[in-house]
Amino acid sequence: MKTLCVLFISTLLVVSTVTATKTAKVYLSFDHYYDGPELVSSFERLNAAYPNLTELRVIGTSEEGRDIHLFTINNKKTGKDTDKPGIYVDGTIHGNEIQAAEVCLYLAWYLLTNYDTNKSIRELVDTRAFYIIPVVNVDHRWRFFSEAGGYNIGRTAMVPYDDDRDGLADEDPPDDIDGDGEILSMRVADPFGGWKTSPDDPRVMIRVEPGEIGEWRRLGSEGIDNDGDGRLNEDGPGYLDMNRNYGFKWQPPYVQSGAGDFPMSSKPTRAIADFVVTKPNICFNFAFHNSGGMWVRGPGSKLAGFYPPADVKVYDFLGHEGEKITPGYEYIIGGQDMYTTHGDFDEWMYSNNGIYGFVGELFMSEQERYRRKEPKNKTKDEDEFAYFGGTAGEERQKFSDNLTQGEMFKPWKKFNHPQFGEVEIGGWRTFTTRMPPPFMILEMVHRNASMVIFTARHVPEVSLELIDVTDLGGGLKRVRVRASNPNAIPSLSHNAIRRNIYRKDILRIEGVEVVSGGIINDRFLNRVDAVEHRPHMIFTSIPSFGKREVQWIVKGKGKAKVTYEAVKAADRELTIDL
Amino acid sequence: MNRFSSPVVMLALLLCFLLGAYSSATAAYPAPKEIEQTLKELADRNKNDATLIELARTPGDRPVHLLELGAKNANLPAIMVVANMEGDSPMGSSAALDLARLLLTDWKDELAVHRWYIIPCGNPDGYARYFERPLTGSTVNDSPFNADKDDATDEDGPDDLNGDGYITKMRQVHPEGNWVEVADNPILMRKVDRKKGEVGKYRLYEEGIDNDGDGRINEDGPGGVNPGHNFPHNFRHFTETDGPWSASENESQAILRYCFDHPEIAMAVTFGRSNSLKSVPESNRRAEAGGSKFKLPKRWARRMGIDPEKEFAMSELLPMARDFTGYKELTEDMLLQWLDAGAKVNPDKNDIGYWKEISERFNDFLKENDLDGKALDAPGFSNGSFEEWAYYQYGVPSFSLNFWTLPEPEKAQEEKKTDDSTLTLDQLEKMSAEEVIALGEEKIAAFLKTQNAPAQYTAAMVIKGLEGGMITPRRMAEMMRKSGKDDEGGADEKDEALFSFNPDAFVAWQEYNHPTLGKVEIGGMIPTSDHTPPFDTAAERISKQLPFLKNLASLLPRLVIKKVELTRRSSGVWFVETWIGNEGFLPYPTHQGKRCQRPAPAVVTISGKPADFLEGRPRQPLGLLEGSGGVEKLSWLLRARDGSNVTIKVSSFSAGSDEKVVSLKEAN
Repeated sequence: MKTLCVLFISTLLVVSTVTATKTAKVYLSFDHYYDGPELVSSFERLNAAYPNLTELRVIGTSEEGRDIHLFTINNKKTGKDTDKPGIYVDGTIHGNEIQAAEVCLYLAWYLLTNYDTNKSIRELVDTRAFYIIPVVNVDHRWRFFSEAGGYNIGRTAMVPYDDDRDGLADEDPPDDIDGDGEILSMRVADPFGGWKTSPDDPRVMIRVEPGEIGEWRRLGSEGIDNDGDGRLNEDGPGYLDMNRNYGFKWQPPYVQSGAGDFPMSSKPTRAIADFVVTKPNICFNFAFHNSGGMWVRGPGSKLAGFYPPADVKVYDFLGHEGEKITPGYEYIIGGQDMYTTHGDFDEWMYSNNGIYGFVGELFMSEQERYRRKEPKNKTKDEDEFAYFGGTAGEERQKFSDNLTQGEMFKPWKKFNHPQFGEVEIGGWRTFTTRMPPPFMILEMVHRNASMVIFTARHVPEVSLELIDVTDLGGGLKRVRVRASNPNAIPSLSHNAIRRNIYRKDILRIEGVEVVSGGIINDRFLNRVDAVEHRPHMIFTSIPSFGKREVQWIVKGKGKAKVTYEAVKAADRELTIDL
Repeated sequence: MNRFSSPVVMLALLLCFLLGAYSSATAAYPAPKEIEQTLKELADRNKNDATLIELARTPGDRPVHLLELGAKNANLPAIMVVANMEGDSPMGSSAALDLARLLLTDWKDELAVHRWYIIPCGNPDGYARYFERPLTGSTVNDSPFNADKDDATDEDGPDDLNGDGYITKMRQVHPEGNWVEVADNPILMRKVDRKKGEVGKYRLYEEGIDNDGDGRINEDGPGGVNPGHNFPHNFRHFTETDGPWSASENESQAILRYCFDHPEIAMAVTFGRSNSLKSVPESNRRAEAGGSKFKLPKRWARRMGIDPEKEFAMSELLPMARDFTGYKELTEDMLLQWLDAGAKVNPDKNDIGYWKEISERFNDFLKENDLDGKALDAPGFSNGSFEEWAYYQYGVPSFSLNFWTLPEPEKAQEEKKTDDSTLTLDQLEKMSAEEVIALGEEKIAAFLKTQNAPAQYTAAMVIKGLEGGMITPRRMAEMMRKSGKDDEGGADEKDEALFSFNPDAFVAWQEYNHPTLGKVEIGGMIPTSDHTPPFDTAAERISKQLPFLKNLASLLPRLVIKKVELTRRSSGVWFVETWIGNEGFLPYPTHQGKRCQRPAPAVVTISGKPADFLEGRPRQPLGLLEGSGGVEKLSWLLRARDGSNVTIKVSSFSAGSDEKVVSLKEAN
């Protein structure tokens, strides 16, 4: 009975979702990956259908001359975008991490198509600005669809670089030598190669046990030694990792590989940096990558220093919620839990610009499960161990066979290689490994966009209220005012305050003569930090889930106007009757 | 060398006159507009040898110009001269123009062997402020910057209250004051030392009013960023004048881009405030991250079965990491990256030797030209400077020249008399750490005694400090000079030197009724007078020192094929050996250049029709060739038809090229 009931309810839910979709002005499906033209035209369709809520514009071009699009969601009727707290979302700074663009597209589509029907979405869209750059690395994402490639090919910007220090740039890339349109893996028969065929599945290779003779040597990516230097595929297109090219404590390539010649030396990073500085209202950013299932925050290196504890609390709150919104994801610190990075976008946003943010590492291959429900008494460690053994090989092959009809893996096939003689080419195909098969896209994009929406709810919203007015006699009055923020993200990050990055928010009183003013430390014990100069204008900010209380001693009658002028939140105004 | 200088001066003056670059025969420092005009005229008159390029426009809409000198399309090494990058060196701009004129006249032969790229002013906005009145001493560009982060930008700059055209100081008698007049020269001020029982009298402010009423004076003046502090080596974040991140400014960005687009640049020379020729930059800076010993990150240490608390030298770590990963091509640099060791902050010890020799030659050159009078030390490199970037990240030898610093005042030159066996500060300054240590404890102790060093400062301590690199002899001499002065309660060394050089550099204190401070006195040093002498002094210095640039250019590396040896191994099979040598004084690349992977490597190719490579590859990049005859040997085993020729060629962007044809003949 219980089961039936659940089934009934979920059917209803499905029906209602479908109904909502049908009324949408633009129908987009999330059952495939969008190539460049389809992606751009989808944003154009959204822009055409919602002209009052959206703007599509080109903020720059890439090294190969492709446009970098910015899609802004802002209800112009409720105000200018820069007067509202801003959320910045970008994707695919690494050109092969393609599904980040689908998350961006889904986010935009979901916010817009639910605007009329869902009150919570409508309130969100009316009070926030969303800046969405679906593809940063336009060159390599375009190439990912149009050229022979592989899931690990296309991370870099198209800036030539002499990776192997032989005086030539980009002269030994991987090659599609068998002409099948993909660059897969190569193996060559070699008893000392360290690998053998799995007894359970002839497509899978496993390491030999100590003392065993092997069958295969893995040669890496498909290709030939184009430059005849005795190394294979060692100098492919570019190497400028745009996510190492940003300006906070940027380090040169000998310290951080892929850093580029100098901060923002690549065209997309420069265009984005130039854009970001025009939007001081941005208070949170998401940069979507793949893969691994992580919400990553900085610091990315020892050089970046530490994050103030009050900011860590903000990150922890959002990160732990994120772990639940996207089950299986881990909230981690890049430099400590993963590896050192210098010059990444998120570090620049937070440390240089005082803007919080997460890198979202989309998708983890554990999600490609092919197994029965786990017995309840299994410990977590055993589970992980079984997973690593299985998915690398046999379990994943079964998943491919029985859920994608073998689409994910190309069986090994003999090929006569000009340098190695007979080799075999095959392996996990281009649109796998870093991204799920199409039937799993919808849940991925929905959950990750939901994390953005959850975070967007927590941007600062100021409310201003009068605490009291006390007559001190002799024409003097004490006015006490409270500005509060019910959300997780403070009106300025503690890093922004520590580094003096922005003008602080201003609590200002007008219409009366101000004798003194200051921030109230304790309302009950009457402890006030008086401001020595210009007491009508108090520079401050409102913490996470917190408040700021101020007092003024004023002379005068009638109405006084109090305003809260925020950098990263909507301004507020309060009229006080004296 | 002396015979060089007077015709040079005359020629320069004559040219100035002819070209109308300066307003009159009594020339002055060229303002940005005049620099632009001079460059245009030079480019117009020398169409074959000079090309003027506008690299960027400043926030104040001024051009940053670069003059390319030398035959276009010539495959010659280039010398990049960047002047007045920090906007505070009128002498630098003047010298750069003189250099351009020389290269187009008397030094034309130099253009046959090198190209010269000259930026006479890297920071035109900042430099333009030198010609504005009131003179503030500010050198930032015109990009607006809200320095005090209040509700207005650039709203509280200095104000010339007494209308004398200079922003000097205001002093106010105040209980919080910790400044007093210097006893024997009351125009100078000095800070009191409360620990010596001295009581202060004045508070000191920059001349101005609190325009925005926030209680602070001049805290948010016009502009901006100093692009000369905006280069990516050792850049400082969160300062008021260095920019939000490196390469944030048009000026610095354009210069960086130009350098990367011109791999033929073999050397950088900067005309600014620092002087790395007179004294080699110190090499005891502490790195921000890392060091020479490394701990492994915990999770890796655990996997490798190694104590995560133990520190390892790179020589121990590298083989360990190679074994563990099975990756035989793992390099030290890759491992350093992975260990988050950070950037190099001191010159490579293998490069320092070359720098020292060049510095010695420069000091001899100064002596020959009677320019070795005692003068104050030039300031060191700024953070984020072009000079340091050119060496640390671009990998080329980088030298800086400032032409002039304040002469030491007469008083300071009379050093304490010592007997012959004891060291003087002057001698100390010129010694290496090893030489000082070699003196032994007794001699050092005697020296410390004559210098009235504090008792706790023992000879043993000095030796330890020198051995550990915590202190250099130069730094030691500097500290002792300073501490010696403190005892006298005299003026700041620089003030005193400036006063004795030019008493007019100080405005006498005069009473002024200040709107918020009440009664103050306005006076003190005229901005920029401490680093920019009257033009005549500068012109002479410049013309005497510029010839050393020719010496510098002659030190560039030059790659040649020193020798080719053929051995017949079998019928039609030849063992070919070749030695590639460097005939220049400087190495190619520098040791830091090798580390930072910047100068493109020189490449050796061997070509010839029926050549079959049994061993070796037709194209091989070269490693580092030390200067003055550094050599690398390459070899091939070739199968070739009898009598066929092969061509061996070494080519590089910035160290020349060479080729040799050898004939593979059985009969030979």
